[in-house]
Amino acid sequence: MIIKGRVWKFGDDIDTDQIYPGKYLPLTDKQEMARHAMEGTNRGDEFISSVKNGDIIVAGSNFGCGSSREHAPVAIKGIGVSVVIAESFARIFHRNCVNTGLPILVLPETERVRDGDIIEVDVVKGTIKNETTTEELQAVTLSKLELQIMRAGGLLAYLKSAH
Amino acid sequence: MTIIEKIFTRASHMDVKPGDYIWADLSLVAMRDFGGPNVIQEYESNLGAASVFDRRRVAITFDLHVPARSEKVAVNQKMLRDFANRQGVMLFDVNTGVGQHILLENGMVRPWDIIVGTDSHMNLLGAVGAAGFGMGTTDIAGAMFKGKLWFRVPETIKVTVSGNFKTHVGAKDLILHILKDLTTSGALNRAIEFTGQTIRAMDLAERITLCSMVTEMSGDVGFVVPDQHIIDFIKSRTDGPVEPVYPDKNVVYASNHEYTVDDLTPQIACPHSPDNVKEVAAVAGTKVDQVFIGSCTNGRYEDLEVVARFLKGKRIKAGVRLIIVPATMEVAKAAVESGLHELFLASGAVVTNPGCALCTTGHPGILAPGEVMLSTSNRNFVGKLGKGAEVYLASPITAAATALTGEITDPRSI
Ligand code: SF4
Repeated sequence: MIIKGRVWKFGDDIDTDQIYPGKYLPLTDKQEMARHAMEGTNRGDEFISSVKNGDIIVAGSNFGCGSSREHAPVAIKGIGVSVVIAESFARIFHRNCVNTGLPILVLPETERVRDGDIIEVDVVKGTIKNETTTEELQAVTLSKLELQIMRAGGLLAYLKSAH
Repeated sequence: MTIIEKIFTRASHMDVKPGDYIWADLSLVAMRDFGGPNVIQEYESNLGAASVFDRRRVAITFDLHVPARSEKVAVNQKMLRDFANRQGVMLFDVNTGVGQHILLENGMVRPWDIIVGTDSHMNLLGAVGAAGFGMGTTDIAGAMFKGKLWFRVPETIKVTVSGNFKTHVGAKDLILHILKDLTTSGALNRAIEFTGQTIRAMDLAERITLCSMVTEMSGDVGFVVPDQHIIDFIKSRTDGPVEPVYPDKNVVYASNHEYTVDDLTPQIACPHSPDNVKEVAAVAGTKVDQVFIGSCTNGRYEDLEVVARFLKGKRIKAGVRLIIVPATMEVAKAAVESGLHELFLASGAVVTNPGCALCTTGHPGILAPGEVMLSTSNRNFVGKLGKGAEVYLASPITAAATALTGEITDPRSI
């Protein structure tokens, strides 16, 4: 699975309330939910108005900390983001991404990628080609087990078919 | 092997090591009035009327918005009751209390168990040597369907504590002190084993306080190896065998941290992060509008007893609201029978029905912008109890002292 897109950079400790503010929790329509992705961050308006299909989020450590709300990955995926790359992810957010089918990669040196760079990501191999700086980076990929769940279309689809 | 490696080895039927991804059998799947309705929607829209994997191992607990505070909540709670009826799973209604404590009191948690639920503080079950994991909607729906889930086996951090607490200092002060040191991301993707002389001397309530706040350090799970009094507690509530999990002697931990409590003073987490910890003395004098004593972290009988000893024969400061909420109905009844309840009322406190109460919005008692609350709960993020409000986290005894004076007070100064 190879993805190419523009990078949107975010900092450390982006919690689920910044990714998807609690006041929208009652929404159930996925398209409506998507319209509020990253709204609580310091560049929420800019992101929502100009993010394009296939764009990539690159963030610091502990991305997705806070509550267990699944609206967070669902909204990020819904607005068109193809993959989230971060120095580390909070456990529940990480699980929710796998279970709902949003690819994620762990990259210790996210400072090598700048806001606005165009990067090409191989989600399975974890290779990242930064077309803007021509640098190549290696990220930590999801495990085989997690990729199987993603490929099946999420946890429930996997459990229905696999066992 | 560490405790979590042993638990996962047994539940996955293969030898595991940290970093492995495995499927593990679950002992119990829990959901609550908040989050539970989403699980049911997810379950039924994907799986229709499929039966749950084992109806005796699925529990629904009502603890957040109890009794229903709005029509929307009432509809959600009805959805859960209807599901419980259809599927025949266990349901603990609005007259029971905080979910994890209900599971403990009903003998549904034993060492070796892996229990998943929709609350982020399931890991307090490590107080009896069980692995509790808080999870999202899809996870719990899948868990209910198959009785198993995927996990990454975490590395383990060892926290060794020695020494004796001074008067008015205890488990909450210790865990806040550790949080300050390890920070809110310090145990990310890690399990914690608490050990040492100070920990072994702790009763169940203190162990719960400790393990519940592993969540605040972003830890997966936290364990205390059960000592005889904990084993006796579990045995008194269940028929099955109770076999503690011990870590092997030669284990190499991801990191080792040692603390001594002999000189520990009362600690307090200041707004707006649980690791923004100071000595209570450093912020003494800060005016508060409200004090909350309760939650899954500090709502047990032992917590209330400490508070009662402090409040006995005294009145809280005029203008301050003191809200006391027992974690469960069992605790509430004990408090009535032993006279604590009467003493609390005499001191000027409001005592409400069991539940999570002022741990988060959703319960009566929310703050106005600019108001300040001292809470015995576990989190104080911005907006958690009302926009523009400030929340401090401390021990029940610091909370009681603060209610008496109306300003943050070191209990040793009273
Ligand atoms: S008191 Fe708060 S943290 Fe504890 S179980 Fe209830 S909502 Fe969760």
